[in-house]
Amino acid sequence: MKRSIIKILKKYNLTLLDFPIWATGTFISIIWFMPFIWMISTSLKLPEHAITKNIEWLPKVVTLENYIRMLEFPIMRWIFNSIIQASISTTLTVFFGALAGYAIARLKFPGNRLVFAIFLASIMIPSEVTLVPLLLAFIKSGYANTYASLILPTIANVFSVYIFRQFFLTFPRDLEDAAKMDGAGHFRIFFSIALPLARAPMIATIVIIFTLNWNNFVWPLLVVFEESMKTLPVGIAQFAPNEGSYTQEGFTLKMAAVSCLALPSLILFFFLQKYFISGLSQGSIKE
Amino acid sequence: MFKSIDWSGYVFISFFTIPFLIFNILPIIFGAYVSFNEWGIFGEPDWIGVENYINVFKDKYAYLAFKNVILYALIIVPSVTILGFFAALFVNQGWPLSAMGRTIFFSPYAVAASVIGLIWVWLLDTQYGLINQYLNIIGIDNIPWITSYEWAFIGVSIASIWWDLGLAFILFLAGLQDIPTDLIEAAKIDGANKFQRLSKIIIPLMRPIINMVLTLQLIATLRIFSQILVMTYGGPAGGSSSPIFYIYSTAIERQLFGYSSAVSMTLFVFILILTLFMRFMLRARA
Repeated sequence: MKRSIIKILKKYNLTLLDFPIWATGTFISIIWFMPFIWMISTSLKLPEHAITKNIEWLPKVVTLENYIRMLEFPIMRWIFNSIIQASISTTLTVFFGALAGYAIARLKFPGNRLVFAIFLASIMIPSEVTLVPLLLAFIKSGYANTYASLILPTIANVFSVYIFRQFFLTFPRDLEDAAKMDGAGHFRIFFSIALPLARAPMIATIVIIFTLNWNNFVWPLLVVFEESMKTLPVGIAQFAPNEGSYTQEGFTLKMAAVSCLALPSLILFFFLQKYFISGLSQGSIKE
Repeated sequence: MFKSIDWSGYVFISFFTIPFLIFNILPIIFGAYVSFNEWGIFGEPDWIGVENYINVFKDKYAYLAFKNVILYALIIVPSVTILGFFAALFVNQGWPLSAMGRTIFFSPYAVAASVIGLIWVWLLDTQYGLINQYLNIIGIDNIPWITSYEWAFIGVSIASIWWDLGLAFILFLAGLQDIPTDLIEAAKIDGANKFQRLSKIIIPLMRPIINMVLTLQLIATLRIFSQILVMTYGGPAGGSSSPIFYIYSTAIERQLFGYSSAVSMTLFVFILILTLFMRFMLRARA
């Protein structure tokens, strides 16, 4: 009996001593996910079933009522704003980052090392130092509450430059050299050869920067104060207990609101986690 | 000589550099200027010298915010580092369901602050929250996680640890995967048990990444804000406030732009000093 258990465990790369560690670890990882399960479960409950004497992980009656009620709030507008903001920001960030990263890695011009060093050093500055002055500038110039004010301050992201620079430093340049021999200019080489080759870092950067923009909270919270210009994270935050416009709503509705914001990010992450993980670990470790 | 210079390089980098200068660098200089002024939402700036800075040091709410953030750092930074390390070590074993573990430990990092805040407000609800219901089962009375001066702080820390673990975890996992397997195999053959392999090989090899995670997490925690806004709004009585929350409330609610710029600048220097101090301590140990 014991021997056959050991045999089975061995098949899974476990020893008898490992087994309790494996069981505890797996248990903890399941617990770690439970807040999301509780969020979804609550969002599918009837409002009167949210508060129970005993813990009910599964709704007694499954209802989409809370999600339908979300339409009473300007949620479609918030989603629309978020999509506009996140997609334009991401496109510009990745494109500008690719241009700069390529130039720093491949083109010889005086100062290119220095420029990169300055970009890197700027990461040390906490972005919050710029919040109040930027806000003041946007308010005084009358551009607060616009898409421009949501998008412009996010587009110079050093991470994007860094990922593309790393890629082009190590990627063989034979194809580009051949095109150069044929007399192609730098811009043509970049668009027709280099950029298509950089698919992997491009997807990783798009996925990470898009998530960053989709989840962006602090800056949109400050610069937008009209309901119709709010992004989804800022709109949803109004369901918070202390200072929001929709504080009085019940938890079933609040969890439906939160699910509308969380599920797109989670689904994107589940399907593209390979890119998330490779991008983030390259972006921070290989310095 | 000019032939070998790719002049178009400047055009390539200008697309990035122009917004970088306007939106990342210029505001710092402008912020430094604003911090020496009194400036509301209407009207012109009024130069008052270092008065804002003197007031920051006299302000007991600013003091509370900076004191809190040190406490946040003392709770969150070690928790995230230790938990993240062990989570990565566990997932790296390649046992059954480890792919699931990898997805799960990272997933909270992929969602927005409002999600984190609101989920935990519900889980930590004093009367009906799931956590207190489970605590009741083992005989512990309801804990006012987010509604009391003493506990609000802990409630916010728990949510922050859950949120922040993902990045530390992924960085550790990448580091562990870079450790050559023959090194571990050789130690196994020499009869080193799991704990010896961990303390004598894995941890020393991981030291640079541990240091990096500690530094990144320290900076992230000193900038703690969004979860506070959603969960406690800095309260009760400033008990869970932080410097950035204080910057937010002086700028947005009271519209003291000069003063809140002075708090920002103070925070900037504060982060710089603490980060350098931490690096120095980590170097001295190595």
